[in-house]
Parts: sequence; C-alpha cells; structure tokens
Amino acid sequence: MLFNSIQFLFFFIIVTLIYFALNHKMRWAWLLITSYFFYMSWNPSYAVLIAVSTIITYLSGLLIDRANNIRNVQRSLQLKKLWVFLSLASNLSILFLFKYYNFFSDSLASVSTYFHSPIHTPSFEYLLPIGISFYTFQALSYTLDVYRKDVKAERNLGKYALFVSFFPQLVAGPIEKSKDLLHQFDEKHSFDYVRVKNGLLLILWGLFQKMVVADRLAILVTTVYNNPSDYKGFEIALATVFFAFQIYCDFSAYSDIARGVAEVMGFRLSLNFKSPYFSKSIKEFWRRWHITLGAWFKDYLYIPLGGNRRGKLRNYANIMVVFLVAGLWHGATLNFIIWGALHGVYQVMGDLLKPIKVTIIKTFKIKTNSLSYKTFQVLVTFMLVTFAWIFFRASSFTSAVIIIQNMLYFNPEVFINGSIYELGLGKKDLILAILSIGAIFGVNLLQRTSSIRSTLLERNIGLRWSFYLSAVAIILIFGMYGPEYNPEQFIYFQF
Amino acid sequence: MLRKAIVKGSIFLFLLVFIISILNPLFILKSGYRSKQVEGLYNHPGDSYDVAFMGSSHMQGGIDPNVLWHEQGITSYDYAMGGQPLDVTYYLLKEVLKKHDTPIVVVDLYYLGLTDEYGDEGYVRNTVDNMNLSMNKFNAILNCTPPQDRLTYLVPILKYHDRWKELTMEDIHDDSSTSYFAKGFESGTEKYGKDYSGVGLTTESVALPPKTEEYLTKIIDLSKKVGFKLILTNLPYDYNSTAGSESWVKEPAKMFNKVAEIAKENNIPFINYNDKLSEIGFDFKADMHNSSHVNIWGANKITKDLGEFLKENYSLVDHRSDNKYAQWNVDYLHSRIASILAEDKSS
Repeated sequence: MLFNSIQFLFFFIIVTLIYFALNHKMRWAWLLITSYFFYMSWNPSYAVLIAVSTIITYLSGLLIDRANNIRNVQRSLQLKKLWVFLSLASNLSILFLFKYYNFFSDSLASVSTYFHSPIHTPSFEYLLPIGISFYTFQALSYTLDVYRKDVKAERNLGKYALFVSFFPQLVAGPIEKSKDLLHQFDEKHSFDYVRVKNGLLLILWGLFQKMVVADRLAILVTTVYNNPSDYKGFEIALATVFFAFQIYCDFSAYSDIARGVAEVMGFRLSLNFKSPYFSKSIKEFWRRWHITLGAWFKDYLYIPLGGNRRGKLRNYANIMVVFLVAGLWHGATLNFIIWGALHGVYQVMGDLLKPIKVTIIKTFKIKTNSLSYKTFQVLVTFMLVTFAWIFFRASSFTSAVIIIQNMLYFNPEVFINGSIYELGLGKKDLILAILSIGAIFGVNLLQRTSSIRSTLLERNIGLRWSFYLSAVAIILIFGMYGPEYNPEQFIYFQF
Repeated sequence: MLRKAIVKGSIFLFLLVFIISILNPLFILKSGYRSKQVEGLYNHPGDSYDVAFMGSSHMQGGIDPNVLWHEQGITSYDYAMGGQPLDVTYYLLKEVLKKHDTPIVVVDLYYLGLTDEYGDEGYVRNTVDNMNLSMNKFNAILNCTPPQDRLTYLVPILKYHDRWKELTMEDIHDDSSTSYFAKGFESGTEKYGKDYSGVGLTTESVALPPKTEEYLTKIIDLSKKVGFKLILTNLPYDYNSTAGSESWVKEPAKMFNKVAEIAKENNIPFINYNDKLSEIGFDFKADMHNSSHVNIWGANKITKDLGEFLKENYSLVDHRSDNKYAQWNVDYLHSRIASILAEDKSS
C-alpha cells in the first residue's frame, strides 16, 4: 500500500475516523491492528519478522530493567550488557540474513574462486522485507535507551509493538527513538482542527514532491541510468542532477506524508530533512539529510566509538566506520559502500584541508560572510553530494564507471538539436520538471527562515482555500499516476 | 471543533468536486465518437427522432440516417460506436430513451459474440466517458468496466490528466456541432474486393455467451417495459473474420440462429442481412469496406431496404413535406457532398 495510492487514501480516512471515534484507552490497539494490516498488505509473512524483532527487544527491555534491581553493581552491569548484546546480535543477525547474507556469501565465493580454492555457500532465496532496516534500528534504539536509562522499560507489549510498527513511519522512517515516540502512545489526542489541517497540508506537500517532481524526474533518470553507455556529457550530467532531486523529493515526500499522517492523529514525528541542498559543507549536509538516521548513528555508533574525543586519527577512523556502515545500511552492494566511503572521505579531507583553506581565505582576503562565498560553498557541497549519488543510483560499479567516463564529454549541442528531449521527457515535461525543481528550491529557501504553514494560516480564507484547491488540482493534473503509469516505488522502501 | 471541521471540510470537498467537474470535460479525449454522442444525446434537446440505431461499428457504418430521410422521410440518429459491447449499448439506450420516449430502436447484434467479461477500455470509454452524470452512467460504470478502473470512469481526469501537454483550443471550445449533419453515420470508402467466404452457414444454433445473453434479455425486457418497438439486426459481415479470436464465439452463424429463435419467441423482428445478401442485391466485393464492415455503397443498399421494412411495418409519418424538418434536407445535401468527397478521396 503506497502512500500515493487510492488504497492508502481510504485506509487513512478509515483509520483516522475510527481512531477519533474510539475511547483513547483503546486507540493504541486500533493503531496496532491497522499498522500490522498496513505492513501485511505487502506480504503477510513479513509480519512474523517484525513480531520476532518486537518480542526480542521487548524482552531485552524487561530483562535490563530487572538487572537494574540487582544490588551487585558488577553483576548487574554484566547482565545488562549480556541482554544488550543478545538483543543486538539477534536483531542484526536477522537483518544480516535477509539483507546481507547473499552479498557476503557471493563475495566470499568470488574471492575464494580467485584464489583457486572455491568455497560453496548455501544460497538463501527470499524477498527483502520492506523497511527491515528502519524498524530494526528503531527497535534496537529501545534496547539501548533502556540500557542507558533514557526510557523506562515498557510493560505493555501491545504498546511496545505499536512503537516498532507504527504505520506512518514503519517502512521508510523517520526512525524514531523510543524516548521520543513511545510515551506518545499514552497521550490523549483530541481532535484539533488546526493540527489536523496542518497535518493534511504536510501530506499535500508530500504528494506534490512525490507525484509531480520525483516521479517525473525518475523517467529521465531511469532512461539514462539503465543504459549509461548510450549517453554522454550533458545528458548524463542532467540525469545525475535530476537524480539528486528525485531521491530528495522522493524520500522527503515519504517523511512529510508520514509526519502529516501522524500529526492528523496527534503524534509528533521527527523532522527528517531540512533544506539539505543548501548545506555549505558535507558535515552540515548530514545534519540536514535523513536527520533521524544520522542521529541514530551519532548516538549509538559514533559517540560510543569515541567520537572526536580521542584524537584526530581516531576521529577520522570513527567517521569512516560510521559512513561505511551507513553505506552498507542502504544496501548490500559495493556501490553503497563506495557511496558511504565517499561521504566519509569528503569529511576527513575537508578537515585535513582546513589549514590550506584558511590560508587561501586570509591571502585573498575572501569575505566568508558574503553571499557569493556562501553560494560557492553550497555549490561545491552540492556537486560533491551529487557525484556520490552516481554510485548510489548506478546499477553496478561498472555502470558507475561508465557514467563518470561518459560524463566527461562536452556536448552542448544536445540542448539545441533536441536530443535532450529524447531522454523520456518531452519538451513540456522537461520544462515542468525544471520548474518544479525551482518550486522545491523556493520552498526550501523559505523554510530556512520561516514556517510556510504558519505564514499561510495568517492569510485570509479566500487566499488559503485558493492555495489548497490549486495544490490539489496541480497534483491531479501534473502528478504522475494512473492506470497507464506504474508509480515508481518509494526509493527508500528497499533499505 | 468537530462541527467546524465537518462544515468546512464539506464546503471544501464541494468546491473540489466542482473544480474537478469543470476540469473533467476539458481533459477528456475529443474524438469523433464524443462529438456524435454529445450531439445526438445532449446538444439538440428539441430534435426527436423516429428511429434510434444502436450497436457497434457495423451499425455505425451500415445505416445512414440521411439516406433514410431522403428515401422515406423518417428521422433517425445512429448512436452506434465502434467496438461498443452490448452491455454498454444497453445503458446508452436507456440514456437515449430519456430523450425519446418511444422511438423505434434498431439494435445490431454483432457484439453479441463477445465472450469477455468487459469490452476493450478505449471503446467503452468512447461511450461512458461522454455520458452526462446520471444513474445510467453509474450503472454502466458498475456493470461494464473492471473494478480497478471504475474510479477513473467516475472521475475521468484521473485517466486523462496526462493530456495537459496536448491540450488545444479544441479542448477548451469543445464544439462538435459541425458533425451533427451526419446524424452519427460514418462509413468506409474502400472496396473489399473479395467474395463472402461462406463459412458457417448452418441451421443449427448454440447457446449465447452468458453476459451478452443477459444484456440482450435486458434490452428485450426494456422494450416491453417502456413500450418501444425493437428490431434486431445483423448487418453483413464475413463470419470468418472473427475466426481464431479468443474473445469471440466460435460459430457466429449458429449464434444468430439462436437470436432468430429468441426473437421469434418474443415477437420481435430479427433481420439477418447475411441471409439477405442476394435479395437486396448486395455485392460483397463492391459493397464491403473490409471483411467485417460495409462501405458507403453497401450502407446505401441496407438503409434503403431497412427503410422499406420500416415503412411497411410501422405507421411512420413522412416528414419530408413538413417545413419543421427543412433542416433535414439541408443536412442530407451536406451528407451527399461529404460522401462524394470521401469517394473522390478514395478513388
């Protein structure tokens, strides 16, 4: 059940109406049932996996809590560490088995064949359970939060199961920490007109990003990236820049719809994107892109590894570990690892080159506060991020290499002889795609300084309603959907 | 607060539906089929016809209302459309009956042979998308279209929204009045050049496909209930033309023998022109456009024969000398010019 489907529209309306009609003590049960229904609409057998993860982490919470009461401090700590270890090991094993086993066994087989001593590993055929990386991380955050005493162990298995499976953010985040979300299931949410309206607006904005922008850009990106050797120069450059916006709009759309759906019912989910392409450094980019995943890695991996407190070298090693794991989290391919490594290297290099940068700024008396310098920084960051996206999007390492090689070709004539319109988007669609990227840019720019929703709410009803109705009409007309068209799956479902 | 939300939400939804209802006709494909249906059903509320012709492409290209007017002074409109399944014909007929209480209705039964549950989407859309919002439209959507497509029939912009890039002034000023003179008739000008293959001539009969049988029964029942005169036809075509089709009856000749039995039981005339070819001087080589459709010369012969049948069996007034119908003479001349131009183009 995709967010941009009629089925979800009906599902959402029914779930919300009944949610508000029920006594608030019953509501968590209703959300739990509907969340499992939502998840099982992809594949009923997936429910077993999420249930197993839920039970393991639920029990780990109770056991850690019980260990807290043991008077012998050393024994208590040992036991707590054991439960954390078992929870991490079992959950990550499931994740490994379903997501990484084949990648590693194939890699092992290739390496062993190379050294003329082939090893045969059993293959494991399955369909990757949707959102497994998201809910596994969310469930693990609970074990770790209870261990750190950031939250109390949840006694109610049902409410805890809802925390792991809450349908708005189940398959593609935002990844919520237990200390932020779990307690919200005990709150009493009344029907608040303004809040519901705000939630619906966020959903509308999400649908625009997904249906009008991301899915339109996807056509050109798919055309070029599926046959990279057929295209050169500006064709590849355009497809790569389009992919940067496709993945942003796609993922940001999912997060916004998730947040909007939750907000309608009274829940607050974390902001996942904050105008990431306006970042002036890669470090800043990671504070603005997929914020909840970044926060997870920072809290549960980077800081436990020592963060930046153990010297430069160790800090660089920690950064590289975090980004290699982050790359691997996105998928079991060499390209994702390279993508992660690139982001790690960018940051390490950025730090290493800092003295040179400072010298240049001093020598040439560059005003770092000027708009032109900031724009330059934003552009450089965008180019670095976009270059890394090549590995994220290309179907294989070879394909990524072809793309990079073929991009180094100067062919401005494609804009004049019409071949730019042969990439899956005709002239009008291409113009609309560029205009809609402009719209995203404009909104992101405004979001940096103000809340668009609040500004809108201050306007008179005529203007507001014209805006809402126009937005629906724009999505209806310019959205990519319908029987002739298979909506691109939300890209982040596979992670 | 809830009350405020319900009131405001309802007003918002009402406005949204209003906007969508304005956008829908803008985006619907402007085809010749749309023109003939809109003209025949909605744009001339004052015009009443003696006879309504219903069915698929066989009927659309087989009966020329202007010839019928010229020969007998009978007014008629050809509502038939290419590929129209019989279930769609039934709901279109109900819509036609809103305009004319008790006309004579002639239904061609070529599509009785369809064995699929639903007709081809494009053909169904030609009729259903161009029907005004009504119970007939709702029922047509409910009964003639697959469940997964129904919402897009109800809200056509969901289907046609991608046409935003090809919209022209024609879509905005949707004027189909220039096509009205033809009264729905459109036929080919090729000459098939082959004889009737003779396949399937038999006296045996077979059961009809369940869904089309259901709708034939509904049409017959409707004629009894409303009180219009029903005539069933099968216009000339080579029974062999559907051979090998997975979605068609294997033996059309036997199917039409069954129709003859049903018609007899219900006291309804059934004219199978495949059995009357030599009687009306129909030359398969010269009067067919291809193996399945008659051409304008064939249509001329069939219309004249059917006109005589109507004149002989029904008390129809000859309107030719009535000044109120002067426009029909103009339209006839218009249609002759169009036919001559079409013939010239093809020769």
